[in-house]
Amino acid sequence: MIRNGLQVNRFIISLCLATAASISLYGQTTPPPKTPKKPVTRIEAPAYPSSREAPQPSSTVRGTSEKALAVEAKVHIQLPCISQAKVVINGWERNEIRVFVKNGSKFAVRVHEKDASSGKPNWVLVTILAPDRSRIRMSDCISGDRIEIDVPMKASVEMKAFETETRIDSVRKVNIKNVGGNVALRNISGGITAATYEGDVAVENSGGQISLETSTGNVIAYGVSPGEIGDTFTTKTRSGTITLQKVDHRQIDANSVSGSVIFNGKFLPGGLYNFTTSDGSVKLAIPGDSSCRIIASYGFGKFDTVFPLKIETENITEGGQSMVAKMGAGGADVRVTTSSGSVNITKQQ
Amino acid sequence: MNDKCIEIGTIQAFLDGETSPDLSFRISGHVAACDKCALVLADAEEESSVVFSALDREFNSMVPTQRLWSSINDAIAYEKSHTSFWDKIRTSLSTLIANPSLTVAASVLLVFGIFAAVWSLKPGDVNNAVGTEVANVAQPDVAIIDIVGGGTEPIQAPQAGLKVDASNLQPTELKKLVTNANFKVSSDQPKAQYLVSRAPVEEYLPGEETYVRTISDLKQNVDGQKDRIMNPSSRIAYERDMAVVNDAIKKMKEVVKKNPKNQSAKQVLYSSYQNKIDLLNSVVEREELMVSLR
Repeated sequence: MIRNGLQVNRFIISLCLATAASISLYGQTTPPPKTPKKPVTRIEAPAYPSSREAPQPSSTVRGTSEKALAVEAKVHIQLPCISQAKVVINGWERNEIRVFVKNGSKFAVRVHEKDASSGKPNWVLVTILAPDRSRIRMSDCISGDRIEIDVPMKASVEMKAFETETRIDSVRKVNIKNVGGNVALRNISGGITAATYEGDVAVENSGGQISLETSTGNVIAYGVSPGEIGDTFTTKTRSGTITLQKVDHRQIDANSVSGSVIFNGKFLPGGLYNFTTSDGSVKLAIPGDSSCRIIASYGFGKFDTVFPLKIETENITEGGQSMVAKMGAGGADVRVTTSSGSVNITKQQ
Repeated sequence: MNDKCIEIGTIQAFLDGETSPDLSFRISGHVAACDKCALVLADAEEESSVVFSALDREFNSMVPTQRLWSSINDAIAYEKSHTSFWDKIRTSLSTLIANPSLTVAASVLLVFGIFAAVWSLKPGDVNNAVGTEVANVAQPDVAIIDIVGGGTEPIQAPQAGLKVDASNLQPTELKKLVTNANFKVSSDQPKAQYLVSRAPVEEYLPGEETYVRTISDLKQNVDGQKDRIMNPSSRIAYERDMAVVNDAIKKMKEVVKKNPKNQSAKQVLYSSYQNKIDLLNSVVEREELMVSLR
């Protein structure tokens, strides 16, 4: 019996060795040229709606409706999906939110979380009225001719949308992502993150950490300041123009691919300023008593200024033109990079 | 054994019981009549008894004694030390073959070995490209096809491949013709030439390769999806911006190639790479946003 078992074991081990030997032999051989396989018919996923084709609401119930809810002052309001509408969000003095939808889908204001001490909602969602569905689908986005939301001035707003014209005023913090449409933000004190892929972004009288992004539109920022030390201002556009006026952040990063970058303001001591464009020009309008160190790399472009600069190094080789120069005591570092555009430093009017 | 006396060998065999019954009967009769042979038989019997008494203990023992074991082991050791390598192999093989399971395993191994050898020696691997080298095999200019029994003129094969034009032959006849065709390449034709072209090895600046790799990865993601994600106007803007960036990269690479120490040109080059990454990233982020809204 034992002898038979040993024989079986020997046989299995030998078989394994034989298989391993054959596999290793096969692995060492050069694989033969593969015949082209018959192309597999690829089933494409259903196309996403483009930004100009916002999903139509599935809800047959449309009309004008309004709802209100008492909330905490620092409530977080989330709009997970708006398909198509003109959205206006305003801050007011009352600790209450009011949502008004004109000629649009029926909606619900859902309380996601309540404050432990006051018992009032501190996190609410404004979604379509779809009680049977646990998960929001694309067709469940809110839409309407006009959506107006009044929120406490200390509230923060988070919004995702397909195609909206959005205007937000007097709230603490905004985080908005829009596939298409313009975004205008005013009086936002606690920071902004705004991205739209086809449209302009405009920010006015706001503060905090700022990040503005658009693909084909322009970026305009006016009267923007940091909320606290270390807040940065970052902005990007692909083919639009970036215009920054009275932006008081000490760290500014502005980048456009084929558009221009225009800065009109002061360079603060210890600040780091970075203006980059590939094909566009960089125009800096600064006070005559500015103190900065300019590090300009302008490739095939040109450099022009009305100020007498103290040049530290200069390279005039075509394609690799650069200049490092000081203005005043050189308190701020200003980096300007362009591949074939021009750099122009003028006096602020 | 002669007529008068029995040979001592026969007597010894008789004593050992190795003679046939007939011979044993005749020996017994002769010894009874012949004193001389009786004396020889008595002497032989006495000698045998002496020997057997000496070996009695060994013969009657149920287990081998230590002395016997020692002599056996000595004999084995001697055999081993004087056995050649091939004898050892032969012995091992014979032992293995005697074991049926190991025989089956060896057979399987042999079959696999033959299969692997046939696979590896199979012709037609000349087109394999190794690494970045691309081997282009030039086709022979002329191939001669002899039609057995057909009496047809040799067919000159075209350079790119054999084309069969419209024929008046019936399908069965055509099939027969093809079946009987004996294709052979003329021996006086120029042999296949291997034109190996090496891909140009890109020389990167420090850190440039990371940009290039990142762009390559992003591009793979974006290229298959940009048509779905962007509408025509966005797509045109995207392609225009991409062209601007690519042009900037190309120009600055040339400048850096001319003067690798130009830090300013390097900075613009890296900035252009970063622009390209941002451009590709914007498409990816847009897609992510759309997916999150589903």
